[in-house]
Amino acid sequence: MSISPVSALSAYLPTQAASSASALSALSATSGATAAQAPSFDITGVIDSLQAAQSNADALAVQAVTGDLDDVHDYTIAATQAAVSLELTAAIRNKAVEAFTEIMRMQA
Amino acid sequence: MTIFGAIGVAGSGMTVYRKWLDAISDNLANVSTVRGTDDDAFQARYVVAQSIESGDGGVQVAGVALGSAEGRLVYEPDNPLADDEGYVRYPDIDMSSQMTQLIMAQRGYQANAAVVERARETYQAALQIGR
Repeated sequence: MSISPVSALSAYLPTQAASSASALSALSATSGATAAQAPSFDITGVIDSLQAAQSNADALAVQAVTGDLDDVHDYTIAATQAAVSLELTAAIRNKAVEAFTEIMRMQA
Repeated sequence: MTIFGAIGVAGSGMTVYRKWLDAISDNLANVSTVRGTDDDAFQARYVVAQSIESGDGGVQVAGVALGSAEGRLVYEPDNPLADDEGYVRYPDIDMSSQMTQLIMAQRGYQANAAVVERARETYQAALQIGR
């Protein structure tokens, strides 16, 4: 699954995207990014790392209740990482949905 | 640096300080462990810390150094373990040094726990951007 609202938008507005590209390239010359290379990222990687963090925290929780856990902080740190990863994923999702609904609201 | 670099590094520090606490508790528990003069005295355990150079960095336990096997010879003729001249072997452990190290290990653990908490707060501050 790939979410790239900006590139989808520019596909519908080829002439404006091209004209803004020259303006943007002057602005973003230092970052090396141009409007032609619209940002697009793969959210599956984020989901996979979230899944890994949750599995790790779950495994350590099982170790804690079975008495196999060596370090208390191993579990609490894993749980913290899983929680922050989940918040990050939720933030990305919210932003993506926000951008999508914003585009859907557009009218000629 | 991975996304949770600071938390991982602080976690490695907590593991080392926890092992240091384990070693100190072992030393304090055995401070009165008497041996006969034919045997080695109880040897104090000292955790050897080593920095991790690869990846995010951090710290790890390289090994355990042992204290003096000679110990202290104490004249205790009534002790059942005493030799013909009345001597027994006590471990060469300084209580005040161990208690000082106990405080250092506890504070080090707490400092690393504080780093984890601050890192978490920092990441969550980043998530608040644009809300």
